[in-house]
Amino acid sequence: MTVPVARRQLFAEPAKLIVTLVAVAAAVALVLLLAGLRRGMGEQVTLYVDHQAPVLVGQQGARNFLSQTSVLPDALIRDIERVPGVAEATPINQEYAMLRLHERPVLALLIGYDPGKPGGPWKLASGRAPSGSAELVLDRVLASEHSLEIGSTLEYRGARLRIVGLSSGTSGFMTPLAFASRTTVSALSRRPGTANFIFVRSDRGVTPAALATRIDRAVPGISALTRREVAANDRRQFVDPFSGPLFAMVALAFAVAVLVIGLAVYSSTAERSREYATLKALGLGGRALYRLVGIQAAGLALTGTGLGFLLALAAARGVSVFAPKYLIAISAGSVAAVAASALAMAVVAALLPSHFLARLDPASAFRR
Amino acid sequence: MTARMSVPLARRQLLFRKGRTLAGIAGISAALLLVLALNAIFAGINDRLTAYIDGSGADVIVAQRGVDTMHMTQSALPEQTATAVVAVPGVAGAKPILYVPAMIERGEKRGIVYLIGDDSGGAPLPLSAGRRPDAGEIVLERSLAERLGATPGSSVRVFGQSFRVSGEVEGLASILNSVAFVRRQELARVLGIGGVVSYVLVRARPEVRAAELAARIETSVPGVTASTREAFARSERRVVGDMTTDIVRAMILVGFVIGVAVAGLVAYSATLSQLRDYAVLRALGLRARRAHALATAQVGATVVAGFLLALAFVWVLAAILPSLSPTLVLAIRTGDVAQALSVAAAVTLAAAAFPVLRVARIDPASVFRR
Repeated sequence: MTVPVARRQLFAEPAKLIVTLVAVAAAVALVLLLAGLRRGMGEQVTLYVDHQAPVLVGQQGARNFLSQTSVLPDALIRDIERVPGVAEATPINQEYAMLRLHERPVLALLIGYDPGKPGGPWKLASGRAPSGSAELVLDRVLASEHSLEIGSTLEYRGARLRIVGLSSGTSGFMTPLAFASRTTVSALSRRPGTANFIFVRSDRGVTPAALATRIDRAVPGISALTRREVAANDRRQFVDPFSGPLFAMVALAFAVAVLVIGLAVYSSTAERSREYATLKALGLGGRALYRLVGIQAAGLALTGTGLGFLLALAAARGVSVFAPKYLIAISAGSVAAVAASALAMAVVAALLPSHFLARLDPASAFRR
Repeated sequence: MTARMSVPLARRQLLFRKGRTLAGIAGISAALLLVLALNAIFAGINDRLTAYIDGSGADVIVAQRGVDTMHMTQSALPEQTATAVVAVPGVAGAKPILYVPAMIERGEKRGIVYLIGDDSGGAPLPLSAGRRPDAGEIVLERSLAERLGATPGSSVRVFGQSFRVSGEVEGLASILNSVAFVRRQELARVLGIGGVVSYVLVRARPEVRAAELAARIETSVPGVTASTREAFARSERRVVGDMTTDIVRAMILVGFVIGVAVAGLVAYSATLSQLRDYAVLRALGLRARRAHALATAQVGATVVAGFLLALAFVWVLAAILPSLSPTLVLAIRTGDVAQALSVAAAVTLAAAAFPVLRVARIDPASVFRR
């Protein structure tokens, strides 16, 4: 006959079990959400570039699309189009637009493109693309947050821009997109006849890397990079600065989870010292006792992690519905890392009561 | 004569299992640290965000109409704006600057900066090494210079052009970006944007208030927005503040849940192991309300200790982190500490429910049953 001692001890105080699991689940969910937010930020910052042609041309020295000043004369478009392998060269103007909505600064990434050409919104939720000057397509999420709709006007850099369309799939926590004609954007910047970047589509059979190298060699004063390189540089620039603080938060959450499991297992072991002493007196070896404690710790760690995973998924889903500007991208890699961490938590947490058990005198079971 | 004697029950119960109490304090402090540290990081970013404006010596900042920030902002003014501003009564001096984001490279190492084209080379901000830039030269922020290995005299590349490092400034970089200075005309040439400036930094005559001067400039010079330095800095801080509000709120919620769970677990475990003591006390005449207060006092003491530990820890971090990573600055603000304290109070109230409910179920007669 076997007695499920570990299970019975765990379930002896259901309230305590629930509190422990909630704490572990909260810590695990925090780890997953922070990692997901970091990954989501990376995906959001490259949202525009990811939808464009595979080669990007900027001013010499340009390595990024975001936070990178690049000024190219429009005349350069023809030079690029002459390079063998170039199917189409599309100039765009781009700038961070610090909009003032409801008396607060709100950041957007304003794209100026030539109407009828690539570079504009890839999906319109309503309205139409900008055709004339001072017309704007605004990200739908940003617009709804500030009660803006088609026909609304907003002031930016002294100009009144009228919203003629709302785009979808263009939201981002730091860089929601807005689109206007290139003439509108270059007039705001007082740089007529210039583009910031030129996106280049290649002929069939020409790889983006080969085309970028060709353009770089053929046209002086520019930097040509593949879209993938630019996206990686932008992600690095935006996400890397947050890595240190984020790692500290994750480490803190992990420490909390270990502490909670350790605390729960230790206090339950200490409270049941008489039971453990009896088991020792009945001949249960040290290894079996440690296993008993280890099973409890592992049970708490794995169940708490499972709950934490579900909690994180629910939170990510809630965020996508109620705060769609944030993207929480929970990856299989971070789930695997958390699962491995759960086992580490169990091992570390089980070490705390093992010292107590080692010192426990079996005779203490008979003392009262 | 009656002799009154009191027994410090809460303290004795807390200290009965020191390990458990200490673990509880550590757990609660970790939960509160999540709230305190995140706030301190964002406050540090905010402070550095306005470091250039704060030290620029400008009383009023003139920008393109509708613009009152620099960070992630575009502003373009005709070069003549500076001349028009100088003519406004009350202006002691007006300095046009170009302000553009740029990538600075040295070999394979790169760093993003706000490159400021300023013919005074960043004056009156003090240099920590070297001298102001001449043509073909650049002044870097020290932390970026260290990261790039660019000592004064060495070269870096910006917009594909080589610049010689002439000096260093300090305390202007955050974890998000850095600052560098070159001559304005040179930056305009490299970018091919002659005749345009980004901002005009204005000094007021001693007898003129900054707000009054800003209003005068807006009235006299068309197409501009003039802000006092304080208003401009406030607007800059709002950008980061607004962006991070939701994240801070989420972290407060998570810190609260973890704090409640840890404090509740500690208090509940302690109560379970002391049920017999509570039963004895109840049999001796301790009222239920006093028993609840006893349990709550233990939770409160643990949370207060956890809060103080978290505060001490974040204070130590704020003191040592800048020497380890010059761009990671933690700023502890009274408001943020008060916020963490209110989270701690909420944790106490919520966590106390666990032991209080258990104590409420104790039958005083149970002490005589065995």
